[in-house]
Amino acid sequence: MESNTVLGAGIRSFAFHEDDAPVLRDVHLSFEPGTLTAILGPSGSGKTTLGRLLAGWLPPGPGGRLQGCLSLSGTTLQFQGAADDPRINPAQWGRRVGFVPQDASAILSTVRAIVAEELAFGLENAGTDRPAMKAAVERTAVLLGLRGLLDRHPDTLSGGQLRRLAIGCAVIAEPDVLIMDEPFASLDAAGTDELTHLLGPLLRRGTAVVILSQAVEETLLAAERWMVLDGGTLTASGTPAELCASPGLLPAGIRRARINRLGTHRDFRAKLKPKPSHPAQASAPVLELRDVAFGYTDKAAKGRKARAATGGSAGDGPQQVLRGVDLELMPGEIVAVTGPNGAGKSTFLRHLNGLLRPTSGTVLVHGEDISRRPVGEVAAAVGLLFQHPRHQLFERTAAREVRFGLDRRFGGSEAAARTGAALADVGLSAHEDAHPAELPASRQRLLALATVLARRPAVLALDEPTVALDGDGLSLLDAAVRNAAAAGAAVVLVTHDVPYARSVADRLLTLDGGRLAPL
Amino acid sequence: MRLHPLTSLAAAGSTAVITTAAAYLPLSLAVIAAAAGLAAWAGTFRRLLPAAAAILVPLCLSLLVLHGLFFPEGITVLGEWGPARVTSEGLSFAVQRAAQLSAAVLALLVFSFSVSVPDLVAALSAKGVHGRFAFVLASTLTLLPAITSRLERIRQAQEARGLVIRRGILARAAAFRLQAVPLVSVLVEDAATRAAALDARGFGSTGPRTSYREVPDRPWEQMLRIVLLLAAAAAVAARLLQAGT
Ligand SMILES: Nc1ncnc2c1ncn2[C@@H]1O[C@H](COP(=O)(O)OP(=O)(O)OP(=O)(O)O)[C@@H](O)[C@H]1O
Ligand SMILES: [Mg+2]
Repeated sequence: MESNTVLGAGIRSFAFHEDDAPVLRDVHLSFEPGTLTAILGPSGSGKTTLGRLLAGWLPPGPGGRLQGCLSLSGTTLQFQGAADDPRINPAQWGRRVGFVPQDASAILSTVRAIVAEELAFGLENAGTDRPAMKAAVERTAVLLGLRGLLDRHPDTLSGGQLRRLAIGCAVIAEPDVLIMDEPFASLDAAGTDELTHLLGPLLRRGTAVVILSQAVEETLLAAERWMVLDGGTLTASGTPAELCASPGLLPAGIRRARINRLGTHRDFRAKLKPKPSHPAQASAPVLELRDVAFGYTDKAAKGRKARAATGGSAGDGPQQVLRGVDLELMPGEIVAVTGPNGAGKSTFLRHLNGLLRPTSGTVLVHGEDISRRPVGEVAAAVGLLFQHPRHQLFERTAAREVRFGLDRRFGGSEAAARTGAALADVGLSAHEDAHPAELPASRQRLLALATVLARRPAVLALDEPTVALDGDGLSLLDAAVRNAAAAGAAVVLVTHDVPYARSVADRLLTLDGGRLAPL
Repeated sequence: MRLHPLTSLAAAGSTAVITTAAAYLPLSLAVIAAAAGLAAWAGTFRRLLPAAAAILVPLCLSLLVLHGLFFPEGITVLGEWGPARVTSEGLSFAVQRAAQLSAAVLALLVFSFSVSVPDLVAALSAKGVHGRFAFVLASTLTLLPAITSRLERIRQAQEARGLVIRRGILARAAAFRLQAVPLVSVLVEDAATRAAALDARGFGSTGPRTSYREVPDRPWEQMLRIVLLLAAAAAVAARLLQAGT
């Protein structure tokens, strides 16, 4: 490795357990200061494992068996996979190498009560004095659009806001190397721009930035180097121009996301039969929202007058999120909803099955007001895919996960058939016995989707279903959505991927300022 | 004005100790009244009530049964069933004990419901509680809200898949059976991911550290804490001397 390298790795093999097949093989890479490197790979190719290993989040030894070496600013550690291997000190490693995990919530300390403190957490542990800390928090918040959220509890952030916080936590300490695992997931266009703008100063200051991604994002075109990870090993490496010129080098699973923000057609669209034009006027709407308004009440401020006295700036009134949402959804219709981070899209979807109840207005399913019915009953008609798969999955195996509640509703044999069919629809038949938490992110998303599909609800409410999916996963999702619609289900899908939304939806709506409007 | 969390802790603790040591009914009643008043003022009364009931009702009932029915020194007999005699002395002793206990428990409860846990964690770490111990402490103090939020998520996931949970505490308790196992496994997973993040962000490091949250500690509060602790110690000493003579 050249002397200019700040972080390098020569991984002969890495396996999680002693006798498992290695997850990574023959991965040799090095990163120079002030360069942007993209590591591209389809889902399951080992990106997350590689990222965690490089960032010290998966220390060789307790984390798994590494044979090879890791080097950081001139110090090289050799690992034989034996007991007397050197140990990484995660704190020292983490001070030089910042990491944004794929699941943004994983970076949270969970012992800090507000966003500002969460941002400052790493600085506190490094002993930075308070004025410097305040300045750094302020600066980072401005860069990432977190200004208005500094006093909020991290648990109450929307998906995109949480991603911004995670990026902020990693960059605030100004590490020499910044590794980000799928940082674009769940970000709106503004968030993507902010991230891109953030990279400029970082690179100029000499930070080596590494982005792990399964999609070719626009930002990555400016990278010095692309490396392709496939099946746990590096298959190609070169400048973006070189790799784009010979398409054979990029595996089919790698998506070309959002390069062309308007009106791209996906190639797999042609393969599917055109959707029958549904007789929208003839039938009644399956789902209707009438003037739905909603605001979160600030639990912490409630009944705690004392807080106001210390100048906790959280406002007293509820934060109005929805201000009059109207929607009619016909059977077989696909509606896509986009909108900026924190606009209230997930909040809106949670109203469809009653997990959140409107402060005013009504939600009707099959023409009936759901306000008096328990969520579990409404759920028979409305299937909700949560934004974070970890919010949806709770069982021990994939098969049990899909089957939860089916036995009671349909009886044993029907439940088994539906479980099998749903798993097959999302390409997980071979992973029935896998533990959901150990599946790669894309499969977790697909498994969550299977739990919804298995019930064949009349309304499918999908919250950012494309996030974490690679090209293959996306075609499975796309087929599932179209088939469900063809079978008469109405679909509402929330996404930041406007090209995809255009390709699949009959109507495109945007949620902004608490109202739905055509885009 | 808001007290430093350690001051309120000292106040609650010494109140509990002093009422226990004094064993004086009017004092216990006054403390109970003051605690209720404070909770109402802080707006925590309605959340505090169920917790207080859960702790105190069984304890007070058992005190009543124990001393009310079986009080050997009792003279004025109000009723008799075999070996059990209700005596007025027994009853008044039981009431005294119950009041004393309720006063102590309420003082501590009022504190734990009104303290800002983040402030307390920050205050302790400013006093030099660091490293692993600080984490154990912080995560213990934030454990309850963390568990409730995980439980809530699992419940929502199950409801979204057709688990019907009716309103009311009994229905929730019945449904809890389905949530217990997922809750444990999710807490275990959480702990594992959290450890990686905390290590990498330097939480385990031993060097000097600072705190972003400012918890002002006024000089008179430090004095007050010393006075409170001395008062508690004096009350205990007086009690011991009394018992000795
Ligand atoms: N439990 C909560 N308590 C208070 N505020 C909340 C809570 N959940 C969400 N919010 C706030 O409500 C607003 C809407 O959040 P929501 O999750 O619906 O946004 P979203 O449109 O789905 O955003 P994203 O694109 O980032 O997923 C945000 O400002 C968010 O911070
Ligand atoms: Mg959302």
